[in-house]
Amino acid sequence: MGDTNSNNGNNTNTNNKKPEWLQQYDLLGKIGEGTYGLVFLARIKSSTNRGKSIAIKKFKQSKDGDGVSPTAIREIMLLREISHENVVKLVNVHINHVDMSLYLAFDYAEHDLYEIIRHHRDKVNQSISQYTVKSFLWQLLNGLNYLHSNWIIHRDLKPSNILVMGEGDEQGVVKIADFGLARIYQAPLKSLSDNGVVVTIWYRAPELLLGAKHYTSAVDMWAVGCIFAELLTLKPLFQGAEVKATPNPFQLDQLDKIFKVLGHPTLEKWPTLANLPHWQQDVQHIQGHKYDNTGLNTVVHLPIKSPAYDLLSRMLEYDPRKRISAAQALEHEYFRNDPLPGRNALVSPNDKAVNYPTRPVDRTTDFEGTTSLQPSQPVSSGNAVSGNIPGAHGGTLRSGPRQMPVGGMQRMQPQAMQAFNNLASQPGMGSGMNPGGIPMQRGLPNQGHQQQQVRRKDTGMGMSGYPPQQKSRR
Amino acid sequence: MAANFWTSSHYKQLLDQEEVDVVHPLDKEKGITLEDFKHIKMHMANYIWKLAQHVKVRQRVVATAVTYMRRVYTRKSMTEYDPRLVAPTCLYLASKAEESTVQARLLVFYLKKLYTDEKYRYDRYEIKDILEMEMKILEALNYYLVVFHPYRALSQLLQDANLNDISMTQLTWGLLNDTYKMDLILVHAPHLIALACIYIASVLREKDTTAWFEELRVDMNVVKNISMEILDFYENHRMITDDRIIAAFSKLNLKP
Repeated sequence: MGDTNSNNGNNTNTNNKKPEWLQQYDLLGKIGEGTYGLVFLARIKSSTNRGKSIAIKKFKQSKDGDGVSPTAIREIMLLREISHENVVKLVNVHINHVDMSLYLAFDYAEHDLYEIIRHHRDKVNQSISQYTVKSFLWQLLNGLNYLHSNWIIHRDLKPSNILVMGEGDEQGVVKIADFGLARIYQAPLKSLSDNGVVVTIWYRAPELLLGAKHYTSAVDMWAVGCIFAELLTLKPLFQGAEVKATPNPFQLDQLDKIFKVLGHPTLEKWPTLANLPHWQQDVQHIQGHKYDNTGLNTVVHLPIKSPAYDLLSRMLEYDPRKRISAAQALEHEYFRNDPLPGRNALVSPNDKAVNYPTRPVDRTTDFEGTTSLQPSQPVSSGNAVSGNIPGAHGGTLRSGPRQMPVGGMQRMQPQAMQAFNNLASQPGMGSGMNPGGIPMQRGLPNQGHQQQQVRRKDTGMGMSGYPPQQKSRR
Repeated sequence: MAANFWTSSHYKQLLDQEEVDVVHPLDKEKGITLEDFKHIKMHMANYIWKLAQHVKVRQRVVATAVTYMRRVYTRKSMTEYDPRLVAPTCLYLASKAEESTVQARLLVFYLKKLYTDEKYRYDRYEIKDILEMEMKILEALNYYLVVFHPYRALSQLLQDANLNDISMTQLTWGLLNDTYKMDLILVHAPHLIALACIYIASVLREKDTTAWFEELRVDMNVVKNISMEILDFYENHRMITDDRIIAAFSKLNLKP
């Protein structure tokens, strides 16, 4: 991965002198834009993967003269370690030493759930087939289960971050995208609105809205529940109006939207509720409202007894500790009933395929992000540019590229990641006393180790060691 | 990033000692021996530690920075990748990767401040040099940034062995810090390095850990070999004088 020759990169503005790494692609145009940079669509020229589409995310240089943004570092770091069919694949990293810009190349996905939902709602005016909804959901959970078992929380799951592959080998396969733009999430929530970054609040779990300091993978499951409902009804489930103040304003309206549908949370159902900052502080407003009719089934038009409703209500469980996990959800009855979920979520044996529009490509923007493409830049005309609503929900412009979804993932807990956590083989450990989760088994035959004896005792070992109580350990 | 060391890029990238002990042809041309190579890396590790104390980052950031530095020199020459720039830049990159970003400005400030007691002119570089080197290091690391360190395993193993008193904790922690003066982190799984530190410490402190070690499913030969390497290092360490390091640096003939 990466290329070492890019420092003879020359001026990227000059068409003939494109940096070497860029010459392996035909740049088609811009498909997205966000706080952190631009996203381009390109095709591979090389004979092996000829014509394969690639999405290239260019990170802006940081303005404060502080090199590669920590956000980009975190995204790269994470994506280099993970590999799963339902997680977007990082195929290359490129550096342009001339202007110190960084590019991440991903397998391109033609669709995403945001566009698919919108297409059904606004264009074909017909719900998404049961098979497709179930297949999307299953694959989303499958990818999420992989991430969660690797102690990664996405933290910004929303329809526009759930990609779906277009025509090709992987048609209809779901890919979770947008990792690592999560530096700002390090201190949970605090930074959601810092830096003016707009992140939709509609998929945010109630514990976060109520100011929980620590969050768990359950926040992603809440978002999955919201997405599930949206796939069924084609409308966002909890469409609260965002309070745009910094930092981290209290989102009363969003909570109110949730309470209206799910009823008011109670201490019996959610004991730790009492500890949440906003619950304590804002007694009149939150605790003042009283909704107790749970109308979820009527909102999503599902019979209370149906497996789909059961699964959904377990995802939308108030208490994060009781909320269903991705692993449990994959085992749910819903996925064992007909129609069974499939790999190609778009085409089922029984339904006729829906033709979803392709992404609009802004062909006037080159990698510099501002100038026009050189005339000789190969611009394929194959892509139909169909109307996509770009960016955030709530009806922004119809033309132009979408806002690059921000937010992303981060490890569950910094400390928890530090070493070998308990995912690795526990078998044989019995007691659960696996130090560091190191896969070592007890009670196996001694491997030739008889008596400990170190050859010599060094007296003046010059151990300049830094004892643990130094503050640097913090 | 994954929580599982055995599926991590760190595990897949572990090298044999012979692969680590290769002096780059460009450095060889200048007369750099394997000894020189090791001494310079050790000096850099010390320097990174010193710098880290000033910018106040956790031990883990230091350990990651030193690991990056050692990985870089399995692929790149010191002639082309000036140690005096690579050392602070690795700390800079590690601080981002470990979520405790240090500003380049601050690093450069301390590079200059530390100069007074450094003989090797770490101070000649400016912010823009660090930013340029950051990208070159990212490339040299092939964008693999997750490093697993033995510290967490160490404290958990000590606890498991019921050896987590202050004396043992301090001794093993110190031993472990010193292992970063060697290339062990490139060669061995972190928990084995932690076990070697416990092994040495338990002998020094005359703790009987035989039974405990026997219960672990680890290859004790590897643990013992690592222990020997650490002890060899201490023995040789006394012979590494400033003069020898200056001599090694001067062979590189770096710009003043």
